[in-house]
Amino acid sequence: MRFHQLTYLARESVHTLGRHKGVMSLSIVIMSLSLLVLAVFLMATDNVTALLDKTIKDFRVYVYLEEGVSPATIEEYHQTLFAMNEVEAIEFVSKAEALHEFRKELGEEQNILETLEANPLPASFRVTLKSGFSDRDRIETFAARVARMSAVEEVNYGKDFIERFSFLARIFLYVDAVLGGIVILSSVFIIANTVRLTILSRRRSIEILKLVGATNFFITTPFIMEGAFQGGLASVLSLGLLAGIYVACRNILPDVQFLGTDRILLYMATCVGLGAVGSYAALRRFLKL
Amino acid sequence: MEHRNVIGIYHLSKRYDDRVILRDVNCQVANGEFLFLVGPSGAGKSTLLRMIYMAEAPTEGQVVVGRWVSSSISRRQIPYLRRKIGVVFQDFKLLEDRNVFENIAIAMRVTGANNYAIKKRVMKVLTEVGLYHKRNDLPIKLSGGEQQRVAIARAVANSPEILLADEPTGNLDPDVTNEILQLLLRINSAGTAVLMATHDHALVKNYGQRILFLRDGTIEEDRRLSVHGFSKERLDAIRMGTESAVWDKRPGGNP
Repeated sequence: MRFHQLTYLARESVHTLGRHKGVMSLSIVIMSLSLLVLAVFLMATDNVTALLDKTIKDFRVYVYLEEGVSPATIEEYHQTLFAMNEVEAIEFVSKAEALHEFRKELGEEQNILETLEANPLPASFRVTLKSGFSDRDRIETFAARVARMSAVEEVNYGKDFIERFSFLARIFLYVDAVLGGIVILSSVFIIANTVRLTILSRRRSIEILKLVGATNFFITTPFIMEGAFQGGLASVLSLGLLAGIYVACRNILPDVQFLGTDRILLYMATCVGLGAVGSYAALRRFLKL
Repeated sequence: MEHRNVIGIYHLSKRYDDRVILRDVNCQVANGEFLFLVGPSGAGKSTLLRMIYMAEAPTEGQVVVGRWVSSSISRRQIPYLRRKIGVVFQDFKLLEDRNVFENIAIAMRVTGANNYAIKKRVMKVLTEVGLYHKRNDLPIKLSGGEQQRVAIARAVANSPEILLADEPTGNLDPDVTNEILQLLLRINSAGTAVLMATHDHALVKNYGQRILFLRDGTIEEDRRLSVHGFSKERLDAIRMGTESAVWDKRPGGNP
């Protein structure tokens, strides 16, 4: 394929888009509606993922120390824990601080503490794990290792919660991947059927091109370029629709975030690609190329 | 001109389900030959032509065109075969949204020729078919005869060795028919083999060197007058349009 042939085909696509404004606009509208489903899906995925991330970020492993540990041991433990691969950050909570926090939590009922002779709360480390170590098995291994340290009384990390959480996160991942596949396939299907309209209206031209010895590449390239262009335009249109829906639903769903810039770019690139693939699929199916 | 076959058809049969379209057709076309394929509608003329430009595959037998053989050609090679064969139809098959120039240029664009070469060649063939002044018109503004001349110009744009014409004058009145035939003869005299299908016996009486009579899918008769049926003077006269070639005037007798 020579360069001037490609530029000719590109110019052809632009001309064709101009000549068939009606059909093209209709296809772009249909495409943008089907792509809107993809945009909503992407946004939902992002929001759920963000929620999962936040939950994992708030997650802490509590390492309770035995009564009467010396400040030197505390310092040593602090350094040992911090040196571990899994650990992102450590916060030391002394007995006094623990009591202070407890009082705050109790609020008006803190008079029940008056009866205590000594502070019963242990000193502890609150360990934040690195994001790669937040699944159940790794947390368990980490907890077991820490629990073996001599001055550690108990390690607590909400075992039930983490089990349920990682199960749900995994389910979400699978369901999301399957849904994503369905949404993308149905977009290709809808786009291919839309492009079919243009192909049928240009059947004669295609026949003539074949007659004079055009290769499949020569015949299909303008369609694929047009498909990509339509996909791009449809993505802009569907993002506009999505923004409209987002603004309208702000009161009902105040915590939902709109797509980020990187997501928008990824989405638009995907739409361009889907437009091209849809066109190609339609050509294969309806022209038997 | 050396004598060699540009088309070879060997024991060719074509059936659609139980319907027989062609049955054991054999014929060779030499380079530079002018050949009429005559027969009533439904005799299989179009199918035979379609099998030469390999839009259809034979049920049995084979077609050889240049270095391509119907039994072994791949779909990817067919475009390259088509660039060596010009095809003209009764309904012209022009791109209605392109002007005359582009309709001819498209045959070269598909080959990857550059713009300069395309312009030069298209201008030349446009002049040859006498439509240079209409190069910017859309086909719809042209008469039937002019549209057919555009189609012929497109067919010869890549200087093919073979020109196939399927009832090219079917939609045209007698005067224009004559014009188109003159044009085909001129193209033929420049060295292109022309194979023209028609149901019009009267037409064939006036022109022609070799006639294949096709009926019910078989060749009834392969009538060769001689490879060079006309004297140079008479051919020139025919091309000038000052005389029509009629069988019984030919030296050497009447078929």
